[in-house]
Amino acid sequence: MPNDSGSIDPKAIWQSQPREVSTAMLEKMVRRKAQELRRKTRRELLGSFAAPVAVAAFSAIGVSLDYNPLQRVAFALAMAWSLAGVYVLNRGTWPAKIAGDAALATGLEFCRREIQQQRDLSRRFLRWSFGPIVLAIGALIVPAIPSALRGGGALPKMTPFFTLLALWMIGLFAIRRSRRRELDREIDELNDIEKEHSR
Amino acid sequence: MGESQASSTADVSQDRLYRDAAEQYGSALERLARAYEANADKRRDLLQEIHFQLWRSFERFDARCSVRTWVYRVGHNVAASHVIRERRVFSSLVSLEELQLLPDKDQDRFAGDNCINLERLSALIRQLKPLDRQVIVSYLEEMDASAIGDITGLSPAGVAMRVHRIKQVLARRFHEGGRHAE
Repeated sequence: MPNDSGSIDPKAIWQSQPREVSTAMLEKMVRRKAQELRRKTRRELLGSFAAPVAVAAFSAIGVSLDYNPLQRVAFALAMAWSLAGVYVLNRGTWPAKIAGDAALATGLEFCRREIQQQRDLSRRFLRWSFGPIVLAIGALIVPAIPSALRGGGALPKMTPFFTLLALWMIGLFAIRRSRRRELDREIDELNDIEKEHSR
Repeated sequence: MGESQASSTADVSQDRLYRDAAEQYGSALERLARAYEANADKRRDLLQEIHFQLWRSFERFDARCSVRTWVYRVGHNVAASHVIRERRVFSSLVSLEELQLLPDKDQDRFAGDNCINLERLSALIRQLKPLDRQVIVSYLEEMDASAIGDITGLSPAGVAMRVHRIKQVLARRFHEGGRHAE
């Protein structure tokens, strides 16, 4: 929207946007969304259960098979660890949590809390999701290493699979770590802003 | 008054507060959603989420701040959460200081066409980190420093500093572009 001097007034451009959704339509959408929330929460809950339950099931098989006692203890620990992880990983992450906080917190407080939550989630992922997987796989392969070194057992045949798995784990760990550092920097930046410019 | 009657009165009040706010600030919230999401379908979802959270939030409205501040806080915070959770988008965002140093990729796209200018302005806003985005959107909505401070939590000096930078960026990107096209 150019003015008399030929320059553009950004405020006028911004405020002259046409509406895309009517208020009546939004009200209908909100009602539908309220009904959908319960279904969505259930779906997300089931989704977040999939990986830990798979690890727990794998570990349960390990416990029930005829392995040595130390291996079975490791499998049992992996099972308990992954099931505990379901609770720890999902604590406080449901979309239902946002409403009250969103209005009571200022932008600065809310952004910092949200970024902290993402960082904690990343940290908890490594500890509570990645950890049991590593333990369960370790329980499976570590006892087989001595016989593999002597040239026997099935482990040498599975070397390509375990190599790929190790690479995937290293990659995942590195990505999560760099993401966490990035989030730490953002939190530091918001803390600095708060020190200098908060009310 | 029985418990169920009290709860029903609260529901009516929540619905009424939401309806009034949606009526009064509906178009502003739509503009706010544009500042956070470029994709039209995702933007509609975001707007729906903002309205839903707004409706839910009025259950706890206690008039400690104005309805306008409440509405904008919910809108900005829900939208900021949307941005922060989109990892790839969040990693590429810049602060106002950094934005001042970036070249304008759309410089040649200047036209008298309002749609193109709106696209340029929206794209510019969407490069910013959430807190700076809150300030620029509030500035474009003609809010004063005190209202911007209520929403963002920044001090008047902090708001003034950011608004000054915003004016410089907008002047460089739009006013100079306007003269260039004359």
